[in-house]
Amino acid sequence: MAKVVLENIRKSFGSLDVIKGIDLAVEDGEFCVFVGPSGCGKSTLLRMISGLETSSDGRMLIGDRDVTHAEPSQRGIAMVFQSYALYPHLTVRDNIGFGLSLAGRPKAEIAAKVEKTAETLQLTHLLDRKPKALSGGQRQRVAIGRAIIRDPKVFLFDEPLSNLDAALRSQMRMELTDLHARLGATMIYVTHDQVEAMTMADKIVVLNAGRVEQVGSPMELYNRPASPFVAGFIGSPKMNLYEGAIAAAEGCTTYGIRPEHLSMSTSEGKWKGTIRHIERLGADTVLYLDQPDLMSIVVRVPGDAELALRQEIFVTPVPGKEHRF
Amino acid sequence: MTRRQFYTGVISLAVAGVIFILPFVFVLLTAVKTKQDAALLTFSWPVEWHFLDNLTEVLRTRNYMLLLAYFNSTVITVCSVTLLVLFGAMVGYVLQRRPSGWNKVIYAFVLAGLMIPPAVVPTIWILQSVGLFKTLTGMVFIQVAYGLAFSVLLFRSFIATIPRDLDEAAIIDGAKPWQIFFRVILPLLKPVTVTVIVVQSISIFNDFTNPLYYLPGRENVTVQLTLYNFQGQFQTQFNLLFMNILLVTIPPLIVFVFFNRQIVAGMTAGAVKG
Ligand SMILES: Nc1ncnc2c1ncn2[C@@H]1O[C@H](COP(=O)(O)OP(=O)(O)OP(=O)(O)O)[C@@H](O)[C@H]1O
Ligand SMILES: [Mg+2]
Repeated sequence: MAKVVLENIRKSFGSLDVIKGIDLAVEDGEFCVFVGPSGCGKSTLLRMISGLETSSDGRMLIGDRDVTHAEPSQRGIAMVFQSYALYPHLTVRDNIGFGLSLAGRPKAEIAAKVEKTAETLQLTHLLDRKPKALSGGQRQRVAIGRAIIRDPKVFLFDEPLSNLDAALRSQMRMELTDLHARLGATMIYVTHDQVEAMTMADKIVVLNAGRVEQVGSPMELYNRPASPFVAGFIGSPKMNLYEGAIAAAEGCTTYGIRPEHLSMSTSEGKWKGTIRHIERLGADTVLYLDQPDLMSIVVRVPGDAELALRQEIFVTPVPGKEHRF
Repeated sequence: MTRRQFYTGVISLAVAGVIFILPFVFVLLTAVKTKQDAALLTFSWPVEWHFLDNLTEVLRTRNYMLLLAYFNSTVITVCSVTLLVLFGAMVGYVLQRRPSGWNKVIYAFVLAGLMIPPAVVPTIWILQSVGLFKTLTGMVFIQVAYGLAFSVLLFRSFIATIPRDLDEAAIIDGAKPWQIFFRVILPLLKPVTVTVIVVQSISIFNDFTNPLYYLPGRENVTVQLTLYNFQGQFQTQFNLLFMNILLVTIPPLIVFVFFNRQIVAGMTAGAVKG
């Protein structure tokens, strides 16, 4: 078990700066999620922690040991790839035991450990199959098994669920959370899916263009986003963000209000708008309003609200829930 | 299948049959004829079947030279192909996976090896000066040198289809570079390795000119050279000459018949990703 500390970590590919100085501490046993838009450097940062990518500058500690220049296998980490990266020519058993067999451990010890790992992941009946003959979820579990058996101090995941369908994804989310609780290991998890970030993380690190935008617990980021970027990134549907005259009227440069923090009325309110589009999600309904000053407002109302297209309604921000940047 | 497709199919099969099968049948028939019968060189059914007689006669010629030739050819083929697979895969792997300034230079040499025709006389000088002229070892090196460029290209394009994630997963599992190569990459190269083995072993086994230039000497004879050596002697014994041809053709033919599906699979596997 170990704490991961990054001090002023930088990475450039030639003249392209991808990671522009990151300071971060991931506490022992924490589930830390890196989120950010595509191309912001999440994978690169994770690969730098794994040692697959060298750092151009800065210092990195895992469990109080300086690993800035250490080999990946010396860092006490294990990584689960987005593509699973299972060895196609080996059975599940050999895939899971590959690391131990490389290290030249005795056969009996490997067999016992593989057996035990397979049990925790309910893979026992699949041990003699090749990866080709497994479903996506099963491959995912094998990849996780290969990570667990190394008994790492830190687990690294790079978008491990993005190849799965929605139902399986939510099931695997729960399994991963359980696994984290059971192993108590530090986990660093990369995703661009803010739902995964919100549901699994102890700590979310929002990255934007190679910099840390904000670090905090899911609810901290939701309630007190430090910048319009974070405000727009966390929460679904996205927060309404306005600049210019409207923001100036509110005494700030960017004014934000979440769709769920607007109360709706048919008779009176702060802004009057026409319903342009209705999305019925069942429990909720999301409305897209046309409004002369704000251009567009997104509002979230209860699912059973009786509304029609082109209807005019009024919306008012819930006091204390507005964000001014 | 439409009628037209059917007829074009039949016609192309017939043409292929005439071009490829008929000569072989002719060789087969003449090889089992008697001396007089064969001398006529007609496409006719043998009057008497002398398969075993002719076979033993050819084998016995010049003190079992053909057996020695088989031995030499096999040694050369097996050693060269082993080295070709090993070096081809290794060089292909490094070229594909480790981008460095040297890659361009190495790649240029590989392409040059494919395009520039070998110069015989200087090669013989070099072989003589390092003492490998007229040795099987020297011949193996020559075959490896001539075949390496093709093998490297084939392996390289195949390795490009193996996801890099596998290498990285192995690195994280604690594999050293040679372990990544031998335990992860090499086993995945099976289809293209079969291709290289079959294509190269046939071409090396069938090679006539290179052994002729670089491997003179009675004790160094290879299978294809026996034909050349026996030619004078068998001038009047076409049945034996054709028996010799038959014996020389059969091993590569067997290899080809058994492996031709894998050859195509390995050749095209690198072409399209996925
Ligand atoms: N080996 C490399 N050479 C040059 N540029 C690279 C290399 N690897 C990544 N980059 C660049 O670094 C930037 C960050 O890439 P990275 O893969 O970390 O993004 P990401 O946040 O993981 O995005 P995604 O969500 O799409 O996976 C991208 O602009 C990418 O083009
Ligand atoms: Mg990525």
